[in-house]
This record gives sequence, C-alpha cells and structure tokens, in this order.
Amino acid sequence: MNSTPPLLELRDISKQFPGVKALDHVSFAVHSGEVHMLVGENGAGKSSLMKVLCGAYRADEGEFFHRGEKVEIRSPADARALGIAVIFQEFSLVPYLSIAQNIFLGREFPGRFPGTIDHARMHREAKQLLDQLGLDIPTRTLVHELGVAQQQMVEIAKALSQNARILVMDEPTAALSDRETERLFAMIRQLQSDGVAIVYISHRMAEVFAMGDRITVLRDGKKVASLLPGEATPDELVHLMVGRSVDRSYARNFCQSEGELILEVKDLSSVNGVKGINLTVRSGEIVGLSGLVGAGRSEVARAIFGADRVTGGEILLHARAHRGNPDKAVAAGIALVPESRKAEGLALIRSVCDNLMLPGLSLAFPSRIYHAARARQIAGALIDRLRISTPSSQRPVRLLSGGNQQKVVIGKWLGSGSRLFIIDEPTRGIDVGAKAEIFALIDQLVSQGAGVLMISSELSEIVQVCDRSYVMRDGRIAGHLSREQLSEENILKMGVHHE
Amino acid sequence: MSENSIATPPGTTSTFSAELRRVPGVAWILGLLVLVFALASRDFLSAPNLLNIGLQSVILLILALPMTMIIMTEGVDISMGAVLTLASVVLAWVLAHDGSLPLALAAALVTGLAFGVGNGMLVALLKMPPFVVTLGTMGVAQGLALLATDGQSIVVSNDSLQAVYAGSFMGIPQTLLIGAVVYALSHWLLYQTRFGTYVFALGGNPDALGLAGIRANYYLIAVYAFGGLMAGLAALILTSRMSSGHPTAAIGMEFDAIAAVVVGGTSFEHGNGWLFGTLLGVLAVGALRNGLNLLTVASSVQVSCIGLLVIVALLIDGFKGKK
Repeated sequence: MNSTPPLLELRDISKQFPGVKALDHVSFAVHSGEVHMLVGENGAGKSSLMKVLCGAYRADEGEFFHRGEKVEIRSPADARALGIAVIFQEFSLVPYLSIAQNIFLGREFPGRFPGTIDHARMHREAKQLLDQLGLDIPTRTLVHELGVAQQQMVEIAKALSQNARILVMDEPTAALSDRETERLFAMIRQLQSDGVAIVYISHRMAEVFAMGDRITVLRDGKKVASLLPGEATPDELVHLMVGRSVDRSYARNFCQSEGELILEVKDLSSVNGVKGINLTVRSGEIVGLSGLVGAGRSEVARAIFGADRVTGGEILLHARAHRGNPDKAVAAGIALVPESRKAEGLALIRSVCDNLMLPGLSLAFPSRIYHAARARQIAGALIDRLRISTPSSQRPVRLLSGGNQQKVVIGKWLGSGSRLFIIDEPTRGIDVGAKAEIFALIDQLVSQGAGVLMISSELSEIVQVCDRSYVMRDGRIAGHLSREQLSEENILKMGVHHE
Repeated sequence: MSENSIATPPGTTSTFSAELRRVPGVAWILGLLVLVFALASRDFLSAPNLLNIGLQSVILLILALPMTMIIMTEGVDISMGAVLTLASVVLAWVLAHDGSLPLALAAALVTGLAFGVGNGMLVALLKMPPFVVTLGTMGVAQGLALLATDGQSIVVSNDSLQAVYAGSFMGIPQTLLIGAVVYALSHWLLYQTRFGTYVFALGGNPDALGLAGIRANYYLIAVYAFGGLMAGLAALILTSRMSSGHPTAAIGMEFDAIAAVVVGGTSFEHGNGWLFGTLLGVLAVGALRNGLNLLTVASSVQVSCIGLLVIVALLIDGFKGKK
C-alpha cells in the first residue's frame, strides 16, 4: 500500500535460546503513520521480537532497514538513535522522582551552574506533554503516588519527549479503564497522523480490529500471517494464532469415573487481584487452569496454598474448611510446584537427595533424627522411580538439566503423602522429550488417587493432558471447558477480550 | 482503578486526621523527646543547653547527610566513624609536625575522600555488598589510626584549630555555620543537580538510568566519595573540639548517623529519602543523648535508647502507612 520504503523493516530475524527457537526467520515492516498489531498466543515470540526491536536482545541472524537503508540494532542506544521507543508492561520509572524528572531522566535541561537542572523549563515542557496527552496532574507529583494507568501515561510522555518515530507498546490497555483506554486510542490516532509508526501488541480482539492498520500473527517463533483487518474475522484470527495440528505425543487415559471431591473453592478472593473464584478438583483428575499470561492463574494457586492473603470466600479440602499459611497447607496435603523452580522450588546448591527428602522428612524419620544412609536409600528409590538422570543422589541440583530439576521438584512430593497437587507451568524451559516424562509423572500422581490442578500457558498442553479446564481472564474464571469442549481455539476465545 | 483516577491528583483530601497523618514520625518523636526531657530536667530548655545540643549535633549532621544519600542508593557506609577517626588523627599529626591548618585540613579531606572513592569503586565496579565493603574499610581505617598513634592521643596546641570550634562569626558559633553550609550544600546537590536526581534513581530503578544512557557507576562512586569527603570535614570540628587526635574518638559514630537517617524517614528501599527528615533525625538523636546526659544516664544505656528510638520511628511510620 506504500510505494515509499517502510520506516523500519526487519528481514529474516532469528533468535535462539537454549532449547527454544524464539524467533525463526521473522520478517516484519512498519510504515510511518501505521498501527501494526502483533498478535499470537503465549510464547509465540512477540516479546522476543519486541526486545530485538529495542536492542535488549541481539538477533542471531537477520537484517534491519531504516527507510530502506541497512542499519544495525545492537544496543538500546542504537534503537534510540533510530527513534525507537518501547513501553514495557513493567515500567522504567523512578518512584520517588516527580513526573517531570522521570520524563526527562538522563536528558535534563542544564541550569545556570554546571551540573544543575533548569527545573522551570523541565516542568514547563513536561506540562506541555501532559496537556498533549490530556492529563491533568501536577508535574511535581511523585510517580509512586500515581496509579498504573497514570504511570503508563508518564511512560508514553517520556517516549514522546524523545521524539520517538517508532513506538512499541506491549499490551498498553491491560491496566486501563474504558475511559483511559479511549484516551489512549485518541492519542494513538493523533500520533499516527503525526507520522509516528506504532507497533502494538495485544490480546484484545476488539482493539486489534479497531486500531490496527495491519495485523501480523506469530506462532511458535514464526510469522504465520500478515493481513489487513478486513481480511479476517476475529475467529479466523484466533484460528491462525492456534492453527497447528494437534500433537498427540502425551496421550493419556482420561479420567472415566468421577472421583471423590478433594478441593472445592467457593467465591475465593485474594489481595493479589483474584476475584470470585469457584472451582473443584476431584481425585484422579488433572484439571487445567488456563488463560493468558497475567490473567491471575498463579495468583489463584498462591491464594489456595496460603502464600497470598485470602480476603474472601472459602476453601474446602476433603469437605473441611481450610485456611492458613503454606505450612498448614502442606500439613493438609496440598503440594505446590511453583512456576519458577529455581527461585521457589529447589535448594539449588544442595544435593538431589536433600531436595527429594525435604517435604517428607517427618514421615521418613518419625523419631525426628536424620539417618544419612536411610535418606540415600529412599532418595535412590525415588530417583529410579522418577527416572532422574544423575550420577549420584549427592549431586547438587543446580548441575542437573531443566527437565531433571523439574522431576525433582514434582518428585519430592511423592513421599509426602500429599493428595492435592497444584503444578504451575510444569514444562517451562524443558525440552520435548523431558516434557513427556513430566506428564507421565503427573499421570502417575493422579492414578494413585491424587488430584492435580495444572497451570500452563501452553494451550496445547492443557488440551492434551487435562480432563477439563477452567479459563481465566482478568483475575476471574471466564469459563469452564469439559473434555469434549477442550480445544485451543475455545480456550483462546474465552481467554481473550471480545467486548 | 476508578474512572476519574487520571483527573484527581493524589493527596488532595484534607481532613484533619489526614493532615495529622502527613506529619512525619520523626516530628512526633522530636516533639515527644523535647517534652519529656523538659519535664524531667529544668536545664534542658535553657539557651546554653539548646546551643550545646546544636553544637554537639553538627558532626553527626555532617555524617548523616551523605549517609542519607548512600542509604537512598540502597547502600550503607559503616566505615564513616572509623574514617572520621583516622582523618582526625591525620589532621592532628600534620599540625603536631608543624604543618599549617589549611595543609592539615587538606590532608584530612584527602584521607576521607580516598576511603570514600575506594568504598564507591568496590561497591560500583566489583558489585560487592556495601555492608561488607565498608566493614572491611572500617577495619582498615581503624587499624591505621591505631598504628599511626600507637594507641595514644596526638595532642595539639594550635590557636587557629581551637578557634574553629570555639570561635564565632557575627555572633553565631562557627561550628553551627559549618553545619548550615553543609546542609545547604547537600540540599542543593540532592534537589538541584543531575547528581541528586540520579541518587533517587540509583535506589529507585537503576535500570531506568541504564535505559536513559547514564553511567550509573560514576554517580554511585560519587555518592560514597561525598561521604568520605564529609567524614574528612567532620574531622576538623572533632579535632578542634578535643584539641587532639585520638585513635578511637569517633568509633561507632556511624551507628548514630544511620539511626538519625532512619529516624528521619529515609527508607533502605526504592530510593525514598528525605534530607530535612535527616536534620530532624539528627536533632532527635542529639536531644536524646543530651537529655540522657543531663539525667546522668550511662553512655552504654544511651546506645540502647538510640536503638529503641529507631524501632519506635519505624513503628510510627509503619502504623501510618497502614491506614
């Protein structure tokens, strides 16, 4: 649609991480005055592409062109020089500086004496920028006093003050109210008419079609389509985002009969933004908790486990009310396998044996006296059963591969007598072969009568492994899918905003 | 997020209780201390005693101001008391060997600056924890002070040195003037210069500095260097007051300085610092020490009281934060 070369063009960009091809020969172009929507499910490569754009990652392969001329983006400074500004979901603001100081951080106007700042001019120019965005806040307000929406506006003002020609926004409306969203859109249209190119990452179908001049779909690190909004319906777009043939490599025997009720959650709310959650987990079933990143899935897990303070509702374990700290949860037979196994699930420098013994210590040693030989014996049996590949039970866990570490994290609960397992992102950073083994392990847990609540961002896993699944959106349960209804498309339809 | 959250500036509600809550904990503490000691001792509120509190607090103030900035970067400098002691010994040694006062002062300042830069470089360039770095340099400074003096005081009889502490300018004691100048300088540095802006950012969000293309390490070193330099300056007042350089004169004074900063409302997190609060904190610590002296409380008990003061200040601010 344009005869002039694009403002910025990426050709055949690839980026490899250990075990994952984050970007696989992705080409992408954005023209001046265009809003280019970038969509894809979790892990499709949107964030990686954005980080390559702003110089935070260096591409392994590929070329960049700015107005048709070949350029390099190797550092944030390179990206800035090309007029690229990125507004991340996590802000780069200093809490105890004023709005004006934040906008001009690192680019202060020199004052009368060397090293000083011309505060009057800084506040005047900041005021102009805020007026332009329709924001009526004193520029001397400290940023930590602002809400998320206002902080985001400050980020945008900061980008504008740098004369950004290419503005990259990562789900900018995620934390905004309807009115704020409208204002943001008005501002985007104005920037557009000023010739700014905008790369906009979104999960919300309504805004993808309302604001986008062009839509690029990423899936598994590859570009699968680049189309105009008129060329597809929202359902077709969802289909493109998912669109792979279902891989049946971890087929399991799904739960046939209805087991006893292990967990029942009624109207649960927590300090971490979880609202009105109702769900059940029965013996012998794997229940999925899916939804997009940030929908509140891990927060539900933390609330049930007692790691976040519960503000309302009920948790029934085996029909008995349960509430309290993680130690009470463990005593009541709940096992939480956290998302970040290195930070929360493992004592990295300790041995495989020590880690495996941790939750079951009091069961293995009723006399409360530790016997190293007996511990090694129990750990050895677990290592065989879990098929953990380690030369010895005394090897520090940090030296194991990701898949084997995860087996330790899940396996350590086998000896603890837990009946309910909450497993958060069990296959993150694990290669395909190890994934199948992890699922076999989870299957083993349920076949012994446990119930599993499995959180995963990978929709295909939920579809293949779970007996049924809840779908979350904005801290609430958006819907429930039975085994028959469970498909990636249905999850995405429930999980994204249709408005 | 409420609908009109963008339009409403924060903190505009002005009920009486809300106003009360905006009064920082340190002001309550200072007021309470003054009240208690005024009731307990008739001399406390007398003009000579108030002047005495001011004079005794100046050295603490000169340490606590840079300490505020260091703590704002989520660091700490526990070597300050020892560096001040060493600088005082150096100053006395130069004077005792027939050096002039300007030369002696320069030697003290260089000593302090060298330790400050060293601390800053170890923290910034080697990414070592500030507590450990300054624990090490504290030992070095302490040891050097003992080594240089053989454990004895270096007594100085120098009229111009005596005049620093005892003298006055236009009726105002010079010591107070030095304190006022250092406060003004610190205030200017923190609130008017780029350096100050980056101090807030070093603790609040160092990544933001990196993204803005600022060499954060340069400023981190400068913060510690300022602390060292001020320890050197404080040595002038200390040596003048005692007419000697003593190898354990100011050992442990970093404790009072950190206490004053924390009582003054500066947090160890997020670059949340307040220079005027530090001034009030210094006065609170000074009033406490002076009042306890008047009541002839042992100095070991005074240390415990300062510790309690810190905890009470944190409790008050924590309590206010909850509402």
